[in-house]
Amino acid sequence: MVETGRYLYAVAAGLPGGTVTTVAGVGNAPVEVVEHAGLQAIVSTVDLSEYGEEGLRRNLEDLAWLEETARAHDAVVRTASEAAPTAPMRLATIFFDDDGVRRCVEELDDDLRAALARVDGRVEWSVKVLASRRPSSAAASGAPSGGADYLRRKKAESQARESAESGAVAAAERVADAVAAGAVAVRRLPPQDPRLSGLEGTMLLNLAALVDQGDSDAFGARMDELADAEAAVSVAAGPWPAYSFATLETR
Amino acid sequence: MTLASTEGQAQAQIALVDLVDRLLGSGVVLAGDLVISLAGVDLVQIRLHALIASVRAEMVPR
Repeated sequence: MVETGRYLYAVAAGLPGGTVTTVAGVGNAPVEVVEHAGLQAIVSTVDLSEYGEEGLRRNLEDLAWLEETARAHDAVVRTASEAAPTAPMRLATIFFDDDGVRRCVEELDDDLRAALARVDGRVEWSVKVLASRRPSSAAASGAPSGGADYLRRKKAESQARESAESGAVAAAERVADAVAAGAVAVRRLPPQDPRLSGLEGTMLLNLAALVDQGDSDAFGARMDELADAEAAVSVAAGPWPAYSFATLETR
Repeated sequence: MTLASTEGQAQAQIALVDLVDRLLGSGVVLAGDLVISLAGVDLVQIRLHALIASVRAEMVPR
């Protein structure tokens, strides 16, 4: 007999019936809603050989599996979040049965409601600031004509580097200020590795901004205006479900 | 301005790296029945493996 568990995607408040039942869950499983105390826990059934402790340990290291699962998780979360305030769960939050899901919703009731109130009517934007690739030093080409020339070049290079760095930092500050001005809340996430992000240059800032839905278009437009500064490039993406702002207080 | 939908604005596609950062790094920190035992999995390790895998994928010509 196949042992199964319940995969919890998110908890929503006031989710209209039938909203998420049209979207496929992880492993193409039908998505269901477990009602508890006026909240809707969005779940589907998973095979514990794949989503149990041992299976997860193996599968989380498999990028194809990770991508498929994360995409399915995201599809369910965004469908729900477009219809009602939704607190997304971490990837692969698994319970043995619906009673386990209900118990969890019950225990976290206050925190969940606070998280839902925080994200209600709001979306997440990502804003990253990257230091521009330094143009190769403007110093004269060719071999230095002597020791003094060599030292002069060294100094010029070092000055150019410093000014590029301080320029990039100043540009990042300006973007951070604009993000703070347009957002309800901002979180600083760890910078991403360029090989992962596919973005060139050192990531100076990786911000998540919680923005009122009504301000979302204007926020995106403002970020586009700021995108190209002299010493830094900023990349804005969104709107997304408010993933970074549904975090419960650690207990 | 047009409304993307009556329920809310259509949301944009999210890059995998950003999604994984959010789904493993933040989101509601919640102890599912199995998450306690999963806590032993080093998430940094997972990211590292994902990174290596993606770098390998880049080397394959498209």
